Amino acid sequence: MELILEKGRLDDWIAALEGWQAFAPSQEDEVWGYRPTASPVRLDHPNTVQPPKNFAFPQREVFFRFEQVKGEPPRLTPVEPDAARNVVFGVRPCDGRGVVRMDTVFSDHVEDSFYLGRRKNLAYVGLACLKPASRHCFCKSVGGSPVSTEGLDVLMTDLGDCWLLASATPVGETLMQAAGALLTEPSAEQRMELARRHEEALARPQKSAVADVGNAATRLKDNFDSPLWEELGKACIACGICTYLCPTCHCFDLNDEVSGGKPLRGGRVRTWDSCQFPDFTMHSSGHNPRDSLGSRLRQRVSHKFRYFVENFGTPQCTGCGRCVSQCPVGIDIVNVVNRVCASV
Amino acid sequence: MIRIEDIRTQARDILETGEVRAVIGWRRGSRGMAAEPVLISQPEEAESLVWDPTCFHNLSLNLVQERKRLARKGMASNKPLALVAKGCDARSVTVLLQENHFRREDVYVLGVSCEGSGVLDERKLARVLDGLTPDSAAYDGDDYVFQTEEGEKRLPAREVMADRCLECRSAYPRLNNAVFGEEKTRGLEAPFAALSRFEQNRGAERWDFWKRQFERCIRCFACRSVCPLCYCEECVVDSIRLEVTPETTADEKANRIRWIERSASRSDNFGYHMTRALHLAGRCIDCAECERVCPVHIPLRLLNNKLEREAREKFGYEPGASVDLPALVSSFRDDDPNEFIR
Repeated sequence: MELILEKGRLDDWIAALEGWQAFAPSQEDEVWGYRPTASPVRLDHPNTVQPPKNFAFPQREVFFRFEQVKGEPPRLTPVEPDAARNVVFGVRPCDGRGVVRMDTVFSDHVEDSFYLGRRKNLAYVGLACLKPASRHCFCKSVGGSPVSTEGLDVLMTDLGDCWLLASATPVGETLMQAAGALLTEPSAEQRMELARRHEEALARPQKSAVADVGNAATRLKDNFDSPLWEELGKACIACGICTYLCPTCHCFDLNDEVSGGKPLRGGRVRTWDSCQFPDFTMHSSGHNPRDSLGSRLRQRVSHKFRYFVENFGTPQCTGCGRCVSQCPVGIDIVNVVNRVCASV
Repeated sequence: MIRIEDIRTQARDILETGEVRAVIGWRRGSRGMAAEPVLISQPEEAESLVWDPTCFHNLSLNLVQERKRLARKGMASNKPLALVAKGCDARSVTVLLQENHFRREDVYVLGVSCEGSGVLDERKLARVLDGLTPDSAAYDGDDYVFQTEEGEKRLPAREVMADRCLECRSAYPRLNNAVFGEEKTRGLEAPFAALSRFEQNRGAERWDFWKRQFERCIRCFACRSVCPLCYCEECVVDSIRLEVTPETTADEKANRIRWIERSASRSDNFGYHMTRALHLAGRCIDCAECERVCPVHIPLRLLNNKLEREAREKFGYEPGASVDLPALVSSFRDDDPNEFIR
């Protein structure tokens, strides 16, 4: 389904989405992030600081609550995931591809009811990148495209005075049908303009590129013991920026958080965790198998370009460039992959 | 005027003579404008060192990291490590020495007086350039000069300089083994100017402001990781040092003290940032790296500045002024200005 929406009618479409809570990128203290929509929604954002990963995989999630009265067995109360239907606007194609990868992780072997519970009520309306959304993005060299619909329910393309909406899933069609008369059939010229703009976006060079993603998994395996890892990881400060801002990083920790005594009560809580934190692999014995900066950099990069390929047949990295632009010391995953893969 | 050739020559010399085992400085990065920290140990690598307005990093962090790395490997070094240090960075080396983190002879300071020309604030620059992303930045008198895809852009430095540099009182690295640049400071704004501006807001407005900031924190811990003075082996937010033996019971593990939970909730974030600010009181030398690296733009410098000003006003204390001064929180003076303590 391909239909036209006039630029001024985007807010009307959002208002017509009954039963859906809508989110779109906006700025708070100059930080671009997904927040409940406020009119007018413009969709003229660069890459958001955080990807839309929080919608299905929030940074903090309570699995169940507990209460322990002395002398009685503990009482456990399950927590159901929020049943609200959320629709997220302005999702870049790289982040759409991130969604697909997260779906894989949380449904392979074990179905994560918390993730999937949120995910089934979630729709993503994407925005084609006619210009790169970041100086550091590199989607084309990792199998993506600035107009990819992977993981998206609808892809919007800016045609100047209007949007062209293309549905990519049945959910996307439902969202578009809700717009009713707001959407009109595209003219032949508009279809040609869409093709022209997409071609131009595909042809536009990106400043950064993984040199040979097809052979990266093998090369990273060959170079597992390369001294380059320590060399390239030397400047790392072991913070969590690269992983917390990544659309596909999904590691987490579980803790029991006590919220009060008499009777003792609290909840079992899942929170994000990061393989870049030194204590991530710390054993209770005190031994830490990933004790050095280089070994942790190798883990992050190998997960994106080797282990995920070995497990699921595709690189995990979608080339959004956030870990590159936000790294406090300039560690550039493209440079790391290219250097390690090119070494003998 | 600082000539990068002079810094390179000195770095090469001390590596060649074996006076130091490595030099920590900056080189061109692979991702565009910003320089990146580098540790070099071969004299010929000195050619790669750079000096420009993107040398924001406080490299004394790398001294701390290198020391920890050696300690973990059970290695000792009998040769000093050199670092290129701006006036502010040299003050944090001073605090590390005051706190006996290492000995004076373990460090070789290649001091660079930026002469008040400061470093860039990338967010201010982004506002001015509106989408243009420069490939390089350079000093030129009172200006910064940027190379962009639309050609050269020249901006008055004070328009895009980091707040802490605008307010800088001492750009000259007093602690040094060699020094480049003159003893000049510009003082483009009064000390604590950003803090004073913020404090003009009423209490309720300030509280709303901080609630919003702490709500946004994602606890990536970049502020802590980038801070050379946050060197504790175990941080109050990471409970990793409980000694677990076969006899340790589940209750003991579950009941270990956790002052601050791992959840990035507003109250736990508040606890984390307040604890960090208090632990830096009288120690923070205002390199403002915590504020620069925060991906969600929490103006952490305001918190640290507030306590820095308290230390100055109440105790006449200036962190990092001299190695010979005792640390603020572990000292007592007969002439303390406060009556209650005498």
